[in-house]
Amino acid sequence: MTTTGVQAIIPAFQELKVCAEAHWKGLWKSGRTVITVGTAACGQAAGALEVLQAFRDEVSKLNLDCRVIEVGCMGHCYAEPIVIISKPGYPAICYGHVNPVIAGTLVKEFVAGDNPCLEFVLGALEKNDLIPSLSEFPRAQYEKKLILKNCGHIDPTDIEQYIANGGYLALEKALRMRPEKVIDEVKRSGLRGRGGAGFPTGQKWEICRNSAGKPKYAICNADEGDPGAFMDRSIIESDPHSVLEGMLISAYATGARQGYIYVRAEYPLAVERVQIALRQAKKLGLLGREILGSNFSFDIKLFQGSGAFVCGEETALIASLEGEAGTPHVRPPYPAVSGLFGKPTTINNVKTLTYVRHIINNGAEWFAGIGTKGSRGTAVFALAGKIVNTGLVEVPMGTTLRQVIFEVGSGIPNGKKFKAVQIGGPSGGCLPESALDLPIDFDSLKKAGAMMGSGGMVVLDEDDCMVEIARYFVEFTQRESCGKCTYCRLGTKQMLEILTDITKGRGKLEDIDMLQHLAEGVKAGSLCGLGKTAPNPVLTTLRYFRNEYEAHVREGRCPSLMCPDLIAYYILPHKCERSCDACVGTCSVEAISPDKKRIKVIDQEKCVKCNNCLVACPLQYNAVVKLSPPGKVPTSKK
Amino acid sequence: MMKTVSLTIDDKQIETQAGNTLLWAALDNGIYIPNLCSLRHAAAPAASCRLCWVEVEGKAQPVTACTEIAAEGMVANTRGTQALRLARNGFELLMASHPIECARCAALHVCELLKIAGHLNVKLNKNPYRKLVHHLPIDSSNPLFNYDPNKCVVCGRCVSICRERGTGVLGFAHRGFDRRATTFYDELIGDSACEQCGECVRACPSGALTFKVSVNV
Amino acid sequence: MTEEKIKQHTRQVLKSFSKKKGNLIPILQRVQGRLGYLPREAMLEVAEFLGLPPIHVYGVVTFYNQFRLNPPGKHSVRVCLGTACHMKGGYITLDAWKRRLSIGAGETTTDREFDLDTVACVGCCVMAPVTVLDEKPMGKVDPTKVDGLLLAFEREREGKKKQ
Repeated sequence: MTTTGVQAIIPAFQELKVCAEAHWKGLWKSGRTVITVGTAACGQAAGALEVLQAFRDEVSKLNLDCRVIEVGCMGHCYAEPIVIISKPGYPAICYGHVNPVIAGTLVKEFVAGDNPCLEFVLGALEKNDLIPSLSEFPRAQYEKKLILKNCGHIDPTDIEQYIANGGYLALEKALRMRPEKVIDEVKRSGLRGRGGAGFPTGQKWEICRNSAGKPKYAICNADEGDPGAFMDRSIIESDPHSVLEGMLISAYATGARQGYIYVRAEYPLAVERVQIALRQAKKLGLLGREILGSNFSFDIKLFQGSGAFVCGEETALIASLEGEAGTPHVRPPYPAVSGLFGKPTTINNVKTLTYVRHIINNGAEWFAGIGTKGSRGTAVFALAGKIVNTGLVEVPMGTTLRQVIFEVGSGIPNGKKFKAVQIGGPSGGCLPESALDLPIDFDSLKKAGAMMGSGGMVVLDEDDCMVEIARYFVEFTQRESCGKCTYCRLGTKQMLEILTDITKGRGKLEDIDMLQHLAEGVKAGSLCGLGKTAPNPVLTTLRYFRNEYEAHVREGRCPSLMCPDLIAYYILPHKCERSCDACVGTCSVEAISPDKKRIKVIDQEKCVKCNNCLVACPLQYNAVVKLSPPGKVPTSKK
Repeated sequence: MMKTVSLTIDDKQIETQAGNTLLWAALDNGIYIPNLCSLRHAAAPAASCRLCWVEVEGKAQPVTACTEIAAEGMVANTRGTQALRLARNGFELLMASHPIECARCAALHVCELLKIAGHLNVKLNKNPYRKLVHHLPIDSSNPLFNYDPNKCVVCGRCVSICRERGTGVLGFAHRGFDRRATTFYDELIGDSACEQCGECVRACPSGALTFKVSVNV
Repeated sequence: MTEEKIKQHTRQVLKSFSKKKGNLIPILQRVQGRLGYLPREAMLEVAEFLGLPPIHVYGVVTFYNQFRLNPPGKHSVRVCLGTACHMKGGYITLDAWKRRLSIGAGETTTDREFDLDTVACVGCCVMAPVTVLDEKPMGKVDPTKVDGLLLAFEREREGKKKQ
C-alpha cells in the first residue's frame, strides 16, 4: 500500500464518523421520545408490523414529537413483539408481548402522559430505581454479548447508526495494518469457524492469501439451513453491517477482490436488509473502488440460495454460485486453495465474520481471554422447543448446557420434565440429562456424539419421542440429500424406512441393529459432511434412548405418547362433564359425539389425531387423554 | 519422460505415472478394485459410487482409491476387512435399489454389477436391506436402445460420454433418491436431439441402457 | 399464458444479465418471480441464452426446492417443518391444511386459489408452529387457526364479489 493511501484513510473515516455521530445524536435530541419496535422475522411472525403501525398512527393522531423506528431482534424472542421506549427523564424501558391495543395505551399513557404502564414492562435497559433492569435478570450473569450487542438496539437499515456505535472502526484500523498482521491477529485470537466444523479462521485466511490464482473471492455463508437454528438470520436482519465489515476485513487480509453473501431463499427479510446495507456502504465509499481512500478495492454481491440444505456445505455452495446443481465435491483441494471458478476462496459463516471486528478493535489477547483453551470466544445459540425463554443467547464457551437451558433459558415450561437437548440440527445429536454438565465447546460436544453445528438448540421434554425426533431428522437429510453418492442417497432412505416402520409400530427387533449398522456405514462411507453427519441423530438416540426404540418395537407403545399411529385419544367417562361440548365443536372431523348420558365419545375410526379436543377440554375436567398402545382404549362402550 | 512412482498394492510391487490415483494405478496393473463412477480423463473424480475402498498404511480409515494420489513407497491393501466392509455395504445399498432380473436383462453378459458382486462375494438374492426400487416407465422410444431408469446407478458414465461424443442430451436431474440420468423435461429420448451414436449404452455398467438388438460391444 | 408470451417475458428478464453461467440461478429466480413458475419454453430460452444444454437447466431447476415446474395458486401456504415446529405439532398443522384444502404438499387446488407446500425452516422457531401465508410468517398456527385463516380468505372473497 502506498503511504498516501494509508494517510487518506484516517480523515476519510473521521468525516464519516462525525456525520454519523451527529445523526445519532439528532435522533436522541433532548425532549424527544424514541420508540423502537423489533421487526426481525421473529417479531413479524408475532405481529410486530401491526404494532409498529399502531404506534405510528397513535403518535401522529396525538401529534407528538416522537420517533418510531424499526430495529432488529434483541434475542428475547419469547416476548415478541418487543418495544423499547426511551423517554427523557425515564430509563429506556423494554415492553414485551405488545399488541396494537397495548401500543395505543403506551402512547397515550406514557409517551403523552407520565404513566410507564408497569404491567407491560419486561425490564429496563439500564439500572435505575424505578424498574428492575434486564441486567439484573438471573440470566444476565451467564450471558456475554459480543456479536449480539447491536441486535435490537440499532436500526439495521441505517448505516449511520452502526457507524455512530463503533461500526467500521475495525475496518479503518485493519486498513492501516499490513494484511499479514491482520491474519496474525485473527490467528492469535484462536477464532474458530462458527459454521459447525470449527476450523481455525486465521489459518483459512492464510492459506487463501498464500495460494496462487487471481482474482480471489470471499464468501459469507448465510445459507443457514439447520431446522431450529436462526442465529444467522437474526444477525443479518438486526446488524447487517457487522457482517459486511467482517467480510471487508477478511478480503483485505486474503487479497480478495470480489465477495458474495449467500443468503437462503427462505429469509426474504434478511435478503432485503443485506441489499439495503450494501447500497448504503457503497454510497459512503465503504465498498467498491479504493475504500476510504486506500488502494484496497472490494465489492460484494448478494446471491440468493434456492432452497437446498446441502448448499450450506462449502463445495456445494460454490457449485450453486457457478450455476450448477449444488452437489458437493471431494476435498482436497479445499476452497482456500481452489474454490469459486477454481480460484482461492474463503468461505466463512456469518457469526465468524461478525467476531472479526471485535477482535481487530480489542485485540487477539482480549478475545483469547474469553472461553476455553480449545474454543475461544463466545457461543451463540438459538434456543427453541420446550423451553421458557426461547430466543437467542450468547454465552462464553465453556458454559454448561445446564446453565444455558435452566439459568438463561429458565428451564422447561408447564412443569414438564427435561428429556433431551438436540444440538447442531441434522448433523448434531440428542444429549440426555447426564450430559447437561458438559461445558459447551467444539470438542466436548463432539465427544458426546453431538456437535456444535451452527448453534441450534432444541429442548425436548417428556412428551417428545426420541424415535420420532430421529425419524424427523433422517427424513430431513434424506429429503435434502443431493443424491450424488451412494451411501447418502440410499443409506439415508433405508434408515428412514426403518425408522418410519418403528414409529408406526411395524418395526422388528432386528431393525434396531440394522439401523445401527446402516448409521455407522453412512457415517464412514459418505462423500460430504451432510452424509457423514446425517446418522448422528440416530446414533445418539440409540446410544442414550435405546429403551424407547424397544418400547415401540416390542410393545407397539410410544412412551412419550407422540407417534400418531401408536396412540389413541380417549375421553375418560368419569371426568367428562355432561354440560360441556367444547371438544365436540373443536373436532375437525366430527368424530366426537355425546352418548345417551351426554358423555362424549370419540369415534376411533374417524379420529385423525389432530389434538384439538385435548387442547379444548377445559382444565378443570381434563378428561381427554392419549393412550398407547391404542389397544388400551376400552372397547366395551362404543 | 514422465516421472513414475513405485508403490505396493496387495503385496504387488507396481509402478505408475506420478499424479495418478491409486484406482488407476491398480487397474492399469491388473489389480481390480470395484468402481462405477471413475472416468480416466475427468478433471476431478466424482467419488460418488463409494465402492473403491482401500486401506493405506499409515491411515486410520479406509480411503476411496479414486481420490487418493499414488505416492512413492505407498502400501495399499484392497482386501482389508474394513475396506471390504465399506465396499460391500455400499454395493448392497445399490443392489437393494436395483431390480434384480438378470435372467431377462439384456445386459446380462456385460453387466459390471455382476462382476462387482462376484469380486466382493455379495449374494444378489440375499440382500440385508429393504428393497427400494423406483417404478418409472421404461423408455423404448429410441430405435437403437432402451432406457430403464429404475436400473440407473447414478454413476454418470453415460452423461459424461454423451457430452463428450454425443449430442449432450443426457444429464442428471432431480435430487436425492430420485436423482438419475435423464433428458430435458424427462422427455422421451426418441423425442430428444439424440443422434443414436450408442456410446452411452456401451458406457452403462448397470443394464439401464441396453441395445434393442444385441450388437457386438 | 401462451408460449409466445412466456418467451417474451423470459427475454425481458435476460436483458439485464450477462451470458455467464454463474448467472443461471439468479436468472431462473427472476423468471420465476415474473411467471410464477418455470415453463418448458422459459427454460429452453434461458439455456440458449447461456449456451448450456437444456438438460443442464432442467437439472438445476429440479435440484432446488424453490423452483416450480407448475403454476402456483393465488395464495401460497407454506407449512414450516423445522425442528421446533415439528415438535410443537407442525405435522398436525400440515394435516389440517391438507384436509381443508383437499390437496397434498406440493399441489395446487383445482380452483387455483391455494398451493400448499412445506418449508424446511423459516427461522421463526419461537413462534412454532409457523405457517407462511403469502410470504408472511404466522405464528402458533394450530388446526383451529387454520380454519380461522381460511374463513378470513373466504370472507375477503365474498366481500370482493359483493363489490
